[in-house]
Amino acid sequence: MKVKIKEWHAVATWRWDMPEDEVCGICRVDFDGCCPNCKYPGDDCPLIVGKCHHSFHLHCILSWINQESAKGLCPMCRQKFEVAA
Amino acid sequence: MLKIWSMKQQQQAASAASGKKKVTAAQLRVQKDLGELSLPSTMKTHFPDPDDILNFTLTIEPDEGMYKGGAFNFDFTINQNFPHEPPKVLCKQKIYHPNIDLEGKVCLNILREDWKPVLNLNAVIVGLQYLFLEPNASDPLNKEAAEDLKTNRDNFKRNVRSSMSGGYVKNISYDKVTK
Repeated sequence: MKVKIKEWHAVATWRWDMPEDEVCGICRVDFDGCCPNCKYPGDDCPLIVGKCHHSFHLHCILSWINQESAKGLCPMCRQKFEVAA
Repeated sequence: MLKIWSMKQQQQAASAASGKKKVTAAQLRVQKDLGELSLPSTMKTHFPDPDDILNFTLTIEPDEGMYKGGAFNFDFTINQNFPHEPPKVLCKQKIYHPNIDLEGKVCLNILREDWKPVLNLNAVIVGLQYLFLEPNASDPLNKEAAEDLKTNRDNFKRNVRSSMSGGYVKNISYDKVTK
């Protein structure tokens, strides 16, 4: 039997390279979801990993780091929060 | 695919039309924190306005320690910057405690300098409960009470008992907090 493909739809899924079920410590939303101020997960609401190996939604950690009382420290371990290369 | 989009748009239009207020980040986070809360029998929350989860009271009834037998009420006020800012906690009664002043302000490290957004309401509540089990003389808000605790623990205990039943300690009258 010969089959002639007339049309096809490609479907793909994606997820961040993170252990499943892990949540952002700041907003407690899944890493696979987005921060509470965004609507859809994806490149518009990325994750960030610190040198201390703690991860957050970029938007969540930015609003923490940008306030004075944070003193630039990771909210998990209180080490200086620097972006891992 | 296109159908999903139009459905989504309809949904958004519907929720906008019904005038539903957008749930804020702070509300979402508080909702999660409250869902994870496992209060022991010595503590109760009360929501004066059930639609407003950002303002509630917590009652602590210690079942051991020097403050056993009292019922202590705290107002929790959470602002829209939560969890980046800690909740504001105020004791509603005038009580004799080294770490709570006569206006109800509470000295607890995680409510001020040591707050971080990965802490949750449970951590604050456990911290408050701990203050009644182990009042701490080294970081006082009520200096006289702290001094009493440091110099004469038995005398401090007596002061706690008389203050809790609505009596005077050193010419200051305290609220009755015993049931």
